[in-house]
This record gives sequence, C-alpha cells and structure tokens, in this order.
Amino acid sequence: MLAGSYAVEVISVNYCFLNAFFFVLQSGQFSEDMIPTVGFNMRKITKGNVTIKVWDIGGQPRFRSMWERYCRGVNAIVYMVDAADPEKIEASRNELHSLLDKPQLTGIPVLVLGNKRDLPHALDENGLIERMNLCAIQDREICCYSISCKEKDNIDITLQWLIAHSKSGVR
Amino acid sequence: MNAFKRDKKEEEEGGGNPFQNIEKTTVLQEARTFNDTPVNPRKCTHILTKILYLLNQGEQLGTTEATEAFFAMTKLFQSRDVILRRMVYLGIKELSGIAEDVIIVTSSLTKDMTGKEDLYRAAAIRALCSITDVTMLQAIERYMKQAIVDRNCAVSSAALVSSLHLTKIAGDVVKRWVNEAQEAVNSDSVMVQYHALGVLYHIRKSDRLAVNKLVAKLTRMSLKSPYAVCMLIRIACKLLEEEDSAEGGSSDSPLFEFIESCLRHKSEMVIYEAARAIVNLRRTTSRELAPAVSVLQLFCSSPKPTLRFAAVRTLNKVAMSHPAAVTACNLDLENLITDSNRSIATLTITTLLKTGAESSVDRLMKQIATFVSEISDEFKIVVVQAIRALCLKFPRKHGVLMNFLSAMLRDEGGLEYKASIADTIITIIEENPEAKETGLAHLCEFIEDCEHTSLAVRILHLLGKEGPRTKQPSRYIRFIYNRVILENAPVRAAAVAAMAQFGATCPDLLPNIQVVLLARCQMDTDDEVRDRATYYCSILEKQDKALANRYIVEGLQVWIPSLEKSLHQYTINPSDVPFDMKSVPLASIPSPEEIVNTSGKAVSREESYAEKLQSVPELVAFGPLFRSSEPVELTESETEYVVRCIKHCFPQHLILQFDCLNTLNDQLLENVHVQVEPPDGYQLVREIPCPRLPYSELGTTYVVLQFPDELGATVGTFNATLKFLVKDCDPATGLPDSDEGYDDEYMLEDVEVTLGDQIQKVTKANFGAAWEEAAASHCELEDTYSLSNMGTLEEAVKNIVSFLGMQPAERSDRVPEGKSSHTLFLAGVYRGGYDILVRAKLALAEGVTMQLTVRSTNADVAELVTSAVG
Repeated sequence: MLAGSYAVEVISVNYCFLNAFFFVLQSGQFSEDMIPTVGFNMRKITKGNVTIKVWDIGGQPRFRSMWERYCRGVNAIVYMVDAADPEKIEASRNELHSLLDKPQLTGIPVLVLGNKRDLPHALDENGLIERMNLCAIQDREICCYSISCKEKDNIDITLQWLIAHSKSGVR
Repeated sequence: MNAFKRDKKEEEEGGGNPFQNIEKTTVLQEARTFNDTPVNPRKCTHILTKILYLLNQGEQLGTTEATEAFFAMTKLFQSRDVILRRMVYLGIKELSGIAEDVIIVTSSLTKDMTGKEDLYRAAAIRALCSITDVTMLQAIERYMKQAIVDRNCAVSSAALVSSLHLTKIAGDVVKRWVNEAQEAVNSDSVMVQYHALGVLYHIRKSDRLAVNKLVAKLTRMSLKSPYAVCMLIRIACKLLEEEDSAEGGSSDSPLFEFIESCLRHKSEMVIYEAARAIVNLRRTTSRELAPAVSVLQLFCSSPKPTLRFAAVRTLNKVAMSHPAAVTACNLDLENLITDSNRSIATLTITTLLKTGAESSVDRLMKQIATFVSEISDEFKIVVVQAIRALCLKFPRKHGVLMNFLSAMLRDEGGLEYKASIADTIITIIEENPEAKETGLAHLCEFIEDCEHTSLAVRILHLLGKEGPRTKQPSRYIRFIYNRVILENAPVRAAAVAAMAQFGATCPDLLPNIQVVLLARCQMDTDDEVRDRATYYCSILEKQDKALANRYIVEGLQVWIPSLEKSLHQYTINPSDVPFDMKSVPLASIPSPEEIVNTSGKAVSREESYAEKLQSVPELVAFGPLFRSSEPVELTESETEYVVRCIKHCFPQHLILQFDCLNTLNDQLLENVHVQVEPPDGYQLVREIPCPRLPYSELGTTYVVLQFPDELGATVGTFNATLKFLVKDCDPATGLPDSDEGYDDEYMLEDVEVTLGDQIQKVTKANFGAAWEEAAASHCELEDTYSLSNMGTLEEAVKNIVSFLGMQPAERSDRVPEGKSSHTLFLAGVYRGGYDILVRAKLALAEGVTMQLTVRSTNADVAELVTSAVG
C-alpha cells in the first residue's frame, strides 16, 4: 500500500462541516463544536497505512479567490455542500463550476459530498447530481456521495474513494 | 561610528558575507522550491534567510512578487521542521505589509499559537497579529485573550506586545482585553508585568483620571519587575508635569513621594530612572534635588561603566539648570576625568567646565587637551559647546580658551566640527571686544589651511567687517590676499570683497589695495572674481566717501529673491521711468531665535505673506508688501472663535489679515468678516469676507484701508467686531440642519497700528559714517524725554527698540555693565522708502532720561517719530 507523499485538495463551501468530516475521519467521533477554518489549515490524516495530506481551505467568500492557489498539483478535490440547505446549493454550484473552469485544474478528480443526510429534507445523491449540474462536467472523473458526519453514514465509502485515488494518483 | 561602519564594509567586500552577491529575481525564482513535495527544510530555510536578508537591506518587492512568494511560503506549513517553521513566521511578518490576501494563514497560525509546541506559540502570535486586520480581529479575539493570561511568559509577553501594536489599527477591540491585561500585571515574570503595564497604560492614556487611579494602585502594590517600575516612574512624571502646569504642583504629592521612594529601590535601573526623573522635573526645588543628585554621585564611583556614563550624562544636563546642586559632586567628577572610557571623561570635563570655578578652568583645559584627539567629532562638538558657554561666563579666560580652540582648529576634523569651533570663536569675538584681535588672528591662521570653502568664505566676510576697525588693519591684508593667490573661485571672490571693505574704511591702505591688489584681481580667470574687482575698483577710484559707504560697506539691503522678482517684472513691462530700488521690499532681519531655528534656509516672513496675498486677486493692486507684523491674538485662546490679526503694511495701504478659527463643532459660519472702526483719516477701501468657515478649519478675511495723508494720524486704535451668519449643523457630518441661518457678531480686542508696523529694520555696518553723511542731506529733529517708569538702561533700550521697530546698529543695544549712561543707534526705513536714523542718548537718574535725535529724508517722518515716542 501507499503512504507518504500524497496530497488531497479539499474545499468546502459549507465550511463548518468539513472540519467535522475530517474529525470524524480521523477519530471516528462527531463533535458539534467545530470552528470554521479562517484561511487554510494543513493537516495530515493517517488511516491504516494511508496518509492523506489535506489542504483545508476556508469557504467564506473572501477566501474563494485563493482556492486556486492550493489546487495545483493535487490528487483530488473534495467539495462539500450542505444537502439540507437548498438555498445555498445554487451558490455552491456556481463556485464549483467556476473553480473547475480554471485551466490549471484540468483532469483532477472531484468528489462532491452532500452532508447532513440524517435530516429529513436533505437531498440524496441523485438530487445533488441534478441540482449541482454535475452531468455537465465531462473532462474528469467525478463522484457524488451523500453522507452524515453526525451519524457517520457513508464515511467509509468516502475514505475508500480517497484511498483508491491515492493509488491512481501517484505521479 | 562612521569609521567603524566603513571598516565593516571593507570586511564584507573581502568575502565575509555569503549574501554579498544575491539578487532579488534569482532568490524569488528559488522560492518556487517551496511548492515541491516533499519539502526540503534545510534548503527552504536557506532561501527564506536570503529573502529576509534582501528585505532588511531595503530591497523593494512588488505586490505580485510578494504575494507569489508569500503563498509559496504558506506551503511550508506542511513541514514539521521547527527551524523552518520559525523562519516562516519571520517571513510572514516581513511580507505581511506587501503581499495580498495574507489573512490566508490565520487558521494555521491560530493552530500553532494554541498548540502544544511552545517553541511555536509566541512567534505565531506575533506573526498572526501582523497579518490581522480589523475585520479578522474578531475571529482571533478569544485566542488573544487566552494568550495574554497564558502561564508561559513568552506567550503572554508576545500577546501583550502584539496587543500594543494592534491598538494602532483597532484600539477599541484591544480596550476589551483590559481585564486580561490587568491579570497579567500580577504575573511573576518581569517582562510580562512590564508589557502588561504598557498595554494598560496605552488603553487608558487618554483618560487622565483612569491613569491616575492606575498609578495610585500600582504604586501601592510594589511591582516586582524593575522595568515596570521604571515605566511607572515615567508615567508618574508625566502626570506630575500635567498637574504642575494646571496648579503650581508641590513636593507632597503622592506621586512625587513614590518617585522619591524609588531612589531606595534595590534595582540600579530603577534608582537611576527615579533620579533622572526628579532631576528633569520642571519645577524641582534644590531641596528635592539633593537626594537624587547624591544617588547620581554614588553612581559616579560605580565599577560599571554604564552607570558612570548615565550618571555623568544626567549631571551634565542639569549642570546648566541647577549648577549649585552639581557642584556638590565635583570631587567625584574629578576622579572621572581620567576614566578609561573617553565618553565618560569628556562628559565629565564638560560638566565640570559648566559648574567649576574660574580658577579650575586652566587645569581642566589641560586635562582635556591630553585626549581630545582620541574622541569622536560628536563629543568634540560637546566640548566646543562647553567652551563657548564658559567664554560667556568667564570673559577673562578668553586667552586660554582661544588658544585651545585654535589648537583644535588645527587638528583633523569634519566640517560640522570645524564650523562649530569657528562659530564659537566668532561668538567670542562679538561678545568680548578684548578677545577680538586674538580671535581674528586665530581665524586668519585657520584660513591659511582650510579645506572647507563655506567656512573660509564666512571667515573672510567677518574679516572684512571687523578687520578695518582694529588697531592695525594692515596685518590682515596679507592673509586675505593670500587667498586670492591660492584658493578656488568662491573663496577668491570673498577675499576680493573683504579687501574692498578695507579699502573703503581705511584711507591709508587705499592706494595699495586699489592700485595693486584689486587691479591684479581684474585679471582673474573667474568671471565673478573679475566682476567684483572691477566693481570695487571703480567705486574706490571716485574717492567719494558717501558712495563707498553706500555701495561697499553697507551692501544690499533688499531681499534678493524680491529684487530678482521686481527686476523680472520691470523687464516684462518696460517703461521710461528708471527702475526704483526703493520699490523692492527690504530684507527683514531675523531675530536670533529665528536664525537658530531655520538654520539659514529662510524665506522671510514678508516673502511668504507676500505670496499668500498675491494669490488673492483683490489684493494685487497695492504695490510691493513693505512689512508684515507678527500675528496678534484678538481673542482669548479658549473661546468659541479664535481670531488672529496680521498687519500688512504697503506704501499707501494697510491690509489687515484676520485668521479665524471656529471651535464649535455644531456651527457652520458663513460670510465671515471683521468690521473695523478706523480712527479719523483712514479710508476703508475694501472688505474681503470668508465665504464659509466650517468647524476647526482656518479661514481668512481681509480688510483693506488707505493710510491717512497726515502721518501723525496713522498711529491709532481700531475697534473690531467679528460678524457672520450662523447655521446650526450636525457635529458628526458638519452638514447644516437647514438653509436658514441667523446673523451674529462677536466682539474682538482692539487692533493697534503702531509706528513700528510702518518701519522696516535696516542694518548699518558703519552707523557713524551714515550719521555724519545724514547731517547734511537729512532733516533733523531733537527732543528730550523723561522715561520715568523705566528702572534700568537695559529695560529702556529694549522698550525703545521694540516700540520703534528699528534695527540697533553697532551692537549699541547692549548696555555695558555698571554704566549710568548709554547711546543707542537705530536705523530703519519708513514705508515709501524714507530713511530714518535715530540716536538716543540715555542717562540713568530716577528713571531714564533720553535725548532723542532723529534724522530722516522726510521731515514729516522725523516729526512722526519724535511725537510717537512722547
């Protein structure tokens, strides 16, 4: 198996929950009280024999212009949205599409995560694919999971996707 | 110091500096390595060092360059190398001012500052505060509060000092941290306590009551940190000074008691600070001074050079204000004369010179001569200044001091040093007639080998002025003529001018100067030298004493830039009338203070006002500005409206300039003007109102009057009233509440137009000659007055000079000590260009009796002067 020099790019629009997601990933626990990332944070997550290096970048509007600086040369982009907040989904979609239009990021695989599937009105995978207009992205591998950090739903398949791309992503 | 720097540079050129030849572009290229994975800490640390080196050498980075480097640097956060991380913090701090979007590292830094690695925490706080702006400060506020009260003193200090820096951008936010700072004051750490006090004081410093409370509380609790105590002493002093200026202050103030108690502190630093504070307090009495001075006295014999230096330096400063107190330390100071540290020895000797008795001067001068060549120019100047003060104090010692100065002049030294010596000699010559001949002889010797053109020119000018009136003028000619043979063009020109002075004043030297020396100069290679020689030769040939007096001895009285301007105007509009020199404004004679303050690069007061008046189109037509008065306050300083008046005198007109300030923030004034009621004879020509006068902006309104034909009526008092339209307005925006306003007026103090306002000062180098000459051509009036309310001759002289506004000639404004009679000579020009010469013979006898003789080209003017004095 692989370890070490492997970077995964992560960006979140619904900023609070990405921290929660990695917290769950690392420790297996959920914590409500997570602070939003101001700017970026560099973190390393070791799960079994895989080390994932994460550039965790704040999703607030004033940081969006800086995302691109950290996307170059990474193995994958993880993009998290709040599936239970339909009003914000449109803004998330526009941001994602404008990010992926950047020429330097061509071909980098994207994983879209819809959080909060434990809530009753949350969108499922199909709903997300439709609302985020993911079918329009043709130039790269793209995947979408609906997860819940709180209930730890689908965390394992997310991790598997990341590990899989660590293999194919070694350059 | 300079020599030291140069040595260091030479060493660097020898290849000692590995960063000697690095270049910005190459280094920035290398900085791309930061993006590589995995990170190579050693290599990256080295590159970061180079970037920091360049920035510290003053290299400028563009915004794009800096931003690129900054973001590349943020990638280094993935490395766990401690040294590299700390270099990154430094890099962040340096680039935070130039790069864009630096807030990107906020989270990374907050993580480090709250993390487990102590080595990171303090530095991360400093870096964090340098990238934070007001909007982001909220996000980190919680962490900052925690850090201030952190158990680790490095972290707490870093947070406190950063808070202090943050007050500049977000004072209000930092104010909310006062409780944490309060807690930090109780810290056991010496530094934390000091920094916490700094923050507390900064937060409260605008509120005097709060500062008072803070000081009162802290003086009782006896701080552990000597640094904090020193700071507390300084704060207490500031409060004391403020109290003093408010209400006469006294020594039983608890603040003073606290400072005095610090004299018995166990830390030397605190003791020194307290002593220095007491000594520097403006109103310290000699009784209060005694304990402080005795502490400094003790320090004089300390084994630590820093303490000795500090003590002597402080004593040196107070030597002037409290010589008696310092005299007590003379014995201890004597021991320091031979101190191996030259700085201490120099300061000691200069202190002793200030306080010592006349008898010890010789011995001290001998002492200082032994090592004067070993000290730096800076200290040599201190020595020279001490000698200068000494000469004024003990005029009889001028022989010893003058010899010493001339020896110093012969030594090596920079221009500033040499100039200060020459200045001192010149002052001595001016102050002490006995020293004149020796002083001039020393200066003559000095210019024989002087590498500074500006100094040589000044000394030649002085020789020209003073030399002809010595007992044996001929001895100076050789020195001056040598310059013509040996020196560069500016010095040669100055030498020619100086020789001409001798020619004009000493008839027995004239044939030699005119026929031989000046004639030779007419062959000079330089235009200016030739021109001057020709000019002087042709004047001297005429053998006309009056002519020579006017064109050689007195020189030009006008302000040169004005002359240039007037001539330029004349050539633009040619007319049949010849150019009239009298239309050119005269050069005003700056007061001694002005000379010191502006150090030569002066625009005269008239010149700057003239430019301002020229910019008002309505005021252009009244001819050249003759004289402007000093501003006169027409209101108390703390009233609603502040008005100052400046009187501008023109040949036929008087312009009153009123500078008005509105100090009410809820009022907007419009159509502001001053209504004056002139005495009979004056005619009001025009008023120029100030259209708008918003809060706290200076506005100007003018009144133009025509002088009466009858000169006697020109002196008088004007009633003045400020009139305006008030509009109430919002203090915050300054916008008026409505368009409606109401008229209001405000009484001002009277404006007085005096004789002095109409007279411009003129220097006469040779008053006697001018006076004799005027006997024939001018009208003369004489009168006798009894000035019963004057107690001394000095007082009378001072009053007459300021009343007439004329220039004393030949130092006649100085009354020699112990004389009961004195003659004062004054020279001036009345508006319109009428010369006035005044001779006032004063005698002291129950008040002062004065016989005033006025000679003027205009009889009315003479009459005006005599009548105005009465």
